[in-house]
Amino acid sequence: MGISRTTRIAAAALAATVALTAGYAYAVPAFNRQTGQNCVACHAGGQYPDLTPYGRLFKLTGYTIGERAIPLAGMAVASYNKTKDTGSPDPAFDKAATFPKDGNLIFQTASLFLAGKVTDNVGGFVQITYGNYDSQSPSDSHWTGHTSSDNLDVRIVDRFIRPGSDLIVGATLNNNPMVQDPWNSVPAWGYNVVPGSSGPAVTPLIAGGLAQNVAGAGGYLYWNKTLYAELAGYRTANGIWSFMSQGFNNDIGNMAFVKGYNPYWRFALTHDWGPHSAMVGTFGMNAKVYPDSLDPTGSTNNYRDTGIDAQYQYLLDPHALTVTASYIRERVNYADSVAGQFHPLDPDGTLGLPLTNSSDTLRMFRAKASYVYYARYGGGLSFFDISGSSNAALQTSAFDPSNPGTLLDGSQSVSGSLSGSPATRAWTGEIFWLPVQYARVGLQYTMFDKFNGGRSNYDGFGRNARDNNTVFLYLWASY
Amino acid sequence: MKSTSLSLALAVAALSVAPGCATTERSRTLNNPAVPAVAMAQQVCSNCHGLDGNSTSPNFPRLAAQQPEYLASQLTQFRNHGRSDPAGFVYMWGLSRHLSDDQIKGLAAYFAGQAAVANAPGDGRYATQGKSIFETGIPANSVPACGVCHGAEGHGTAAFPRIAGQHADYVVKQLVIFQQTEQRPQGAVMKTITHALTKEDMRAVASYVQGLR
Repeated sequence: MGISRTTRIAAAALAATVALTAGYAYAVPAFNRQTGQNCVACHAGGQYPDLTPYGRLFKLTGYTIGERAIPLAGMAVASYNKTKDTGSPDPAFDKAATFPKDGNLIFQTASLFLAGKVTDNVGGFVQITYGNYDSQSPSDSHWTGHTSSDNLDVRIVDRFIRPGSDLIVGATLNNNPMVQDPWNSVPAWGYNVVPGSSGPAVTPLIAGGLAQNVAGAGGYLYWNKTLYAELAGYRTANGIWSFMSQGFNNDIGNMAFVKGYNPYWRFALTHDWGPHSAMVGTFGMNAKVYPDSLDPTGSTNNYRDTGIDAQYQYLLDPHALTVTASYIRERVNYADSVAGQFHPLDPDGTLGLPLTNSSDTLRMFRAKASYVYYARYGGGLSFFDISGSSNAALQTSAFDPSNPGTLLDGSQSVSGSLSGSPATRAWTGEIFWLPVQYARVGLQYTMFDKFNGGRSNYDGFGRNARDNNTVFLYLWASY
Repeated sequence: MKSTSLSLALAVAALSVAPGCATTERSRTLNNPAVPAVAMAQQVCSNCHGLDGNSTSPNFPRLAAQQPEYLASQLTQFRNHGRSDPAGFVYMWGLSRHLSDDQIKGLAAYFAGQAAVANAPGDGRYATQGKSIFETGIPANSVPACGVCHGAEGHGTAAFPRIAGQHADYVVKQLVIFQQTEQRPQGAVMKTITHALTKEDMRAVASYVQGLR
C-alpha cells in the first residue's frame, strides 16, 4: 500500500474489480447505545457513513455526546460480484487469480469496533477488520483470512460556547489521513464505501495510500459552525505506534514507510440554511515515502497532494439528499532508485523502450449523489475520472519494437496497460434498501468508460474498458 | 520526528484542553444530574435546535421563547416514551432518557428565556387562507380558530404551546400526527380540532404561523 506509484500499480493488478476489503469504517451501533438515538440522527437517511450536520458535530466533539455505554459493535458484509467478461485470449491469463470469487456469494469481511465516549473530553473509535479472502496460498491457491488494524480515530476535545461564539477545539490521533474528516466528499468516507465495491485502481496517495500504515497527530478547530481548520503530521506507524498498523508489517512487505513527519492540512467553510447544508473545502498532504519499505534509506518518492472538495445536503424528513465532489491533484517526484529505470518489459534496456519517469502527475475527480427516502429506500449515482501522465513504469503491456504487432513476453492481459496511462473513468449506479436501521441490501452496477489508459484494447490483448463492467450485490449489517 | 516528540506533542495537546475535563460546565454527558442544564443546552441541544433555540433546519422545532411548561412537558413525554411520533423517538427518546427533573426544568427555562428570531416569511400563496384559519377557523367544518388557545399572536400560554415562528414543515408534520395517529396523547385535544383539516388547510395555516413573530 502506497509504497510508490509503480508498486501501487502492480498491487492494483486486480484492477478496479478487486475487493476493497479494508480501510473503511461505518455506522457504529455502540454510538447508538451511547446517545440512545437512531442511526438516522447522525447518518443522512440512515445511509452510513454519510453524516448529517449533527453527526459531524458528534464526531468533531470527540464522540462524547451521551453516556458511556458498552463500547463494542460489530459488522459484517456478504457480497456477490460479477464481472462482465472474465476471459482473455491470452494463454497465460489466470482467471482465478484475477477474478477471485467472481460470480460467487461470499462472506467477505467483518469488523469489530471499540467505540465511544471515554470521558467528557475524550472519545474515539478503533476498528479491527477480518478480511475473509485476504491472500491466496501460492501452493494450492487456497484463500486465507487475515485480521488487521482498520481505521482508528481517538480525540481529545473541548467546546467553548458563549452567546454569538461557538468554538470546538480538538486533537486527533489517527492512522489514515482524512479518516478524521467529518465530510463525505473526502476519500476516506465518500466513495466506494461499501466494502468490495468497484473503484479506481490507481488513486492519489492521500486517498487511502497510507491507511493503517501511519500514525498521525493533529489539532483542529471549528468556529461558529462556519470555519474548520486542521493541521496534522503523519509518521510511520512502527515502534510504539505499531498498535495502529497491526497486521501490516514489513515482514510481508506491504506497509508503506514514510520519512519523518509528513504534514497534512485541511480547511473548510460551512453554512447551513433551512434544510440545506453546504461545505467547500481544500486539503492536502506532502509525504516522503521510501520506495522500498524493507529498506527505508536513501532518497524518497515525494508526493504533493492537493485537493478541493464540496458537499451539499438537503435533509428534511423523509428526504435525505447528499451530493459530494472532490478533485485531487498529485505531483510525485520519484526517488533515484525509481526514476529513469529501464522499462519493466525491457529490464536490460536492450529493446530501447522508454525509461521510467522521474516525476508524474495524477488527477482524480469524483462526484456522488445519493438520495434516501424514509431512511429505507435509496439510490445513488457516482462517477470518477482518473487521469495523469503516462509512465513507462505503468506500461505493463507493450509491443515488440522489432516485431510490430507482437506483444513482448511478460505483457499482462486484463490488468495490463498498453499506454502506461492511469486514465480510468467509470459510473456507478446503486439502489439499496434498509429493512432495519442496522442492515442494508444494495445493488450496484459500475460501467467503465476508460480503463488503464484506454477505452478499447487497453491491454494489447483486445480487452475493452467495458469488459470490466461489474454487478455488485451486498448485504451489510452491523450490531 | 521521533516517537518521543510526537508523544510530547500529544501530551501538550491533551494538556491544552485538559482544564475542561475537571468541570461539568462544558460537559456533553447526558446521565449525570450534576451537569447544568445550560451546559446541556449549549453542548448538545444547540446542535439541532440552535444555541438560541432558533433552529435553522425545519427538521427540528424552534424552541426560543417557547412556553416553559410545554417544553418541560415534552421532555418528560420523551423521557417516559409518552410521545412516540417518529421524530420524537428517533432523536429525543435517547437524549432525554436519563435527564433529571431539575435538568428538564432548567432546559425548559433556558429555551423559554431565549428571544425568538423572526423565521422566513410563509408562502405568500397561502397568506389569506392561512390567516383566515388561524383567526377564525373553518366554522363550516367545526374547526376552531388557532388563536383562541395559542394566543392571538401565537405566543401560547402556560397550557398551550407557542406556535409563532415555528417552521411550517414541522407544524404540518405535527398536525398530521395529531389528525392521523395516537402518537401524541397529550395533544389529544388536537385530534378533534384537526379532524376536518385538508392537507392544503394544514399547509396554509402552518405557513401563516411560520410568519408570525
